[in-house]
Amino acid sequence: MPQVFIDGQPYEFEEGGKLLQFCLDQGIEIPHFCYHPALSVPANCRQCQVKAGLPARDRATGELVTDENGLPVINYFPKPQTSCSLDLVDGMVVHTQYDSEEVAAIQADNLEMMLINHPLDCPICDQAGQCPLQNQAYKYGPEGSRFEFEKVHKPKRVQLGPNVVLDAERCINCTRCTRFTAEVTESHQLSIVNRGDKNYPMTAPGQILDDPYSMNVCDLCPVGALTEDYFRFKARVWEMSKTPSVSDFGAKGINVDYWVRDNQILRITPRANLDVNEYWMPDAARLVYERYNENRLQGARVNGAAVAWETAYDEAARVLKDADGSVLFLGSAWATVEDNYLLTKLADTVGGEVLGYIPYHEEGRGDGWLISDDRAPNAQGCERLGIRALDASLLQSKLAGASVLYVLDDDPVAAGVLSGADLEGVTVILHASHATNETLPHAAVAFPAAMCVETIGTYVNEAGRAQRLRPAKMIRSMNRSLMMAMGTGQSRIDRGGTPFDRWHDVTNKVDCLPGWTVIPELADRLGRPMHYKGPERVMDELAETNPAFTGATYPAMDLLGVALEDIGEPA
Amino acid sequence: MADTPTLLTGETKAGDWRNYERVILPPIKDLHKIEVYEDHGGYDALRAVVKDGKFDPKGLTDEVKASGLRGRGGAGFSTGLKWSFMPPVDPEKPRYLCCNGDESEPGTFKDRQIFEYNPHLMIEGIVLACYAMTIKTCYLYIRGEYIDYVHHVQKAVDEAYAKGYVGKNVLGTDFSTDIVVHWGAGAYICGEETSLMNSLEGKRAYPRIKPPFPAQAGCWGMPTTINNVETLADVPLIVNRGAEWFASIGPEKHTGPVLYGISGHVNRPGVYEYPTGMLITDLLEIAGGARGGKRIKAVVPGGSSTPPLTWDMAEPATMDAETLREAGSSMGTAGLCFLDEDTDMVSFTRRIAHFYHHESCGQCTPCRDGTGWLEKLLTRIDEGEGYTRDLGLLLELCDQMEGRTVCALADAAAWPVRWGIRRFRDEFEAKCKAAAFAGASLGDGSALETGELTPTGTPTT
Repeated sequence: MPQVFIDGQPYEFEEGGKLLQFCLDQGIEIPHFCYHPALSVPANCRQCQVKAGLPARDRATGELVTDENGLPVINYFPKPQTSCSLDLVDGMVVHTQYDSEEVAAIQADNLEMMLINHPLDCPICDQAGQCPLQNQAYKYGPEGSRFEFEKVHKPKRVQLGPNVVLDAERCINCTRCTRFTAEVTESHQLSIVNRGDKNYPMTAPGQILDDPYSMNVCDLCPVGALTEDYFRFKARVWEMSKTPSVSDFGAKGINVDYWVRDNQILRITPRANLDVNEYWMPDAARLVYERYNENRLQGARVNGAAVAWETAYDEAARVLKDADGSVLFLGSAWATVEDNYLLTKLADTVGGEVLGYIPYHEEGRGDGWLISDDRAPNAQGCERLGIRALDASLLQSKLAGASVLYVLDDDPVAAGVLSGADLEGVTVILHASHATNETLPHAAVAFPAAMCVETIGTYVNEAGRAQRLRPAKMIRSMNRSLMMAMGTGQSRIDRGGTPFDRWHDVTNKVDCLPGWTVIPELADRLGRPMHYKGPERVMDELAETNPAFTGATYPAMDLLGVALEDIGEPA
Repeated sequence: MADTPTLLTGETKAGDWRNYERVILPPIKDLHKIEVYEDHGGYDALRAVVKDGKFDPKGLTDEVKASGLRGRGGAGFSTGLKWSFMPPVDPEKPRYLCCNGDESEPGTFKDRQIFEYNPHLMIEGIVLACYAMTIKTCYLYIRGEYIDYVHHVQKAVDEAYAKGYVGKNVLGTDFSTDIVVHWGAGAYICGEETSLMNSLEGKRAYPRIKPPFPAQAGCWGMPTTINNVETLADVPLIVNRGAEWFASIGPEKHTGPVLYGISGHVNRPGVYEYPTGMLITDLLEIAGGARGGKRIKAVVPGGSSTPPLTWDMAEPATMDAETLREAGSSMGTAGLCFLDEDTDMVSFTRRIAHFYHHESCGQCTPCRDGTGWLEKLLTRIDEGEGYTRDLGLLLELCDQMEGRTVCALADAAAWPVRWGIRRFRDEFEAKCKAAAFAGASLGDGSALETGELTPTGTPTT
């Protein structure tokens, strides 16, 4: 294989790559701003410059030329080369800033230039703490500045569109945002205006940045020039903990990071997964963050009255026992694979039937990219468990002969598959996440349900990819599984949250529980205990016993998920 | 290199230039009209090549190579060699010629003389170049400020179309080529060949990174050659009179007639056609000598980006690439600017720095922010508020800009500053306050003067 020598170390490489990406892949950090793996390479920030050369070859014979010590003679490029645009060539010799003072000086010079017109308002900038310019200036920049003039002034607080705000003075003109709208969404809504040190990105006159994916430019922006309108001045990034998980916005299974402070989701950003969402997510999937904080159903209820969880368990178990087999179960495309699986087991225990899950598929709702036709995140997971999309008329006919309806994480009334009148004379047991749930007034027993940001579990996206949910925020009664998942593998309670937030404050902890806690409690009371040490063991069992989930263990899914075997069209 | 004979002999390399007969801009009335042009042998070269088969495409390229013609747009690259970089014809791929008429370098105003007085020579050259490289479309890019010339040239192109010199089946042969006159929107950077192509494509005129070079992937990703207006105007002359004739004009390595654009403190500024290798002193004489009998102090030999020469350096120098390199500058576009003894070199350098600050496209960091910094420092010095340490900083900034950007604008911005300070340092120092850093108490200043400003504001010694 061809070789490249970086700082004296040989590395083998595949043909066709560029030096910067190769270095990043090898864990060699080279500072850069404009380069992004999903965008074209303009080499305009000039930050990633290195010294590079090729071994000299004899023109006539093509043989390598060696010096008196038998070492190959290297012809260095006369100018420093931007590594982002430099093709890897066999035998190439590269000196980065780690090896060459000259290169380190070039990079420091470049950062000095970059900072002279940058406002350095880090103390009030939302990007501070996660800012490539800040980080790289500290690491590779000069100690100070020799610039003694007033900086260039440009527009500030420009509302580019409904979701994005521009501070042009902070802009370093890397053009990532304009390349994103030109190359990825092809909406061409942003372009650079003006020349020289007066230029900045802007929409065309009279136009706004209303691309449905507009907020990706805020993630791309290597400074605080483009910020998400909803998140401006909300929180400092170092006050938040960031949890890698999966969005429940639609069946795409968009990989996200949930940003939490004081047990509230404040921000959702995309997490790179080249097999699912690459680096992007739609604005709509971010703007759901309040759903996890507001209007949550708190505390178990029996016939509308708040009761202790134990009381609710007892009551639900009694209802199920008394029903004597005439129990209908509804799975849920919002609940995890684990919860749905436990529900099928519970149904077996009481001799009931899982009728299906309420489908949220709506032809034409999606955009063919990251917004799916299916609004719910886990329909595919239900299908793989043998739970099918619910036929509303079948449910209504079956309901006549049933005495109990058990609903997992859903709202059949709001979904329109049932009306309140249909539920007269039926005892409803409901797992519900929100107090606004329209089935809730009809529920005899209601269990507040943990949402995807609070639970451990698995979603299977519409392409058949099993992906793990991790708890990003705490619920009122944390159990050992949740503690282990939230911490750094330790069960100590002080591992949750960041040192700066009030993670231990009870105020924002929702009094709810995940299905995998509630259902085994009921099974216990029905005399058929489920012996799982948490959801991971549930998934281990499924991965082993159900061919539709082969290989989908937690360690295998890890951060990027596992593509499951195709099981064909549902029967 | 001690045994290398110096080129700075103080003797002309232009031969018998006093009896030189103009060929690019001959003294013929109404030459811009196609009938007049035809009466004086116009389009004979085209007919000889395209119709009578004087050269096949490769032969024409070789002839241009043999003539020693070097690009007149500033870089001075061999034109024939550039043409030969075009890949073999692929019927699936269109190929383009761009004629670069985005003449925007301060001190350069030669192409517009061709637009105005001899546009058909350029058009004939374009068609010949298209023939040599089998190109079916040429974009003639004219800078926005030249709107009058755009109309004028368009008229000439229309005439040439009507007479069958351009368009489908040139002169009744199988060879067809089109010329599209494109009116630029007025930015200096559009004269840089890759940003010219971006501008042509309707994109923001950011220079592109090379490789790929235009011959591999130029306009719309297709093989493209970019030549200057004056370069192409030389081609019919080479065809008519032969490569040997062309090569016999001027010094061996840089041949042919050149349009010298002379400006500054001279009595008769203007465009003068002479062979390459003219002594700068002779050109001063041609331009009527220094205004008001003053002494000339400095010469900028090839447009504002070329390093200024002191008169001592300029006196033995001739106008060709090799000699000027030895003299410490470059030929550029042969736009000479003479500066007399009253010129404030600081002010002059500041004005040039302003131009490059204004025209930097803003793509690359060192140029975008560096050009502004240079101007701010020079302004401060020019206004008497600068410090001697600023000169060291200016030179360091030049180091930080040169060779570190996509295109050569940063170099063009840095050279006049660097060489202005190097060659006229006492003038710069005279305008500076003798303090090491802002706010320092002067004392005798001697220890501080050499100090640099450290980040904490204390000078090092």
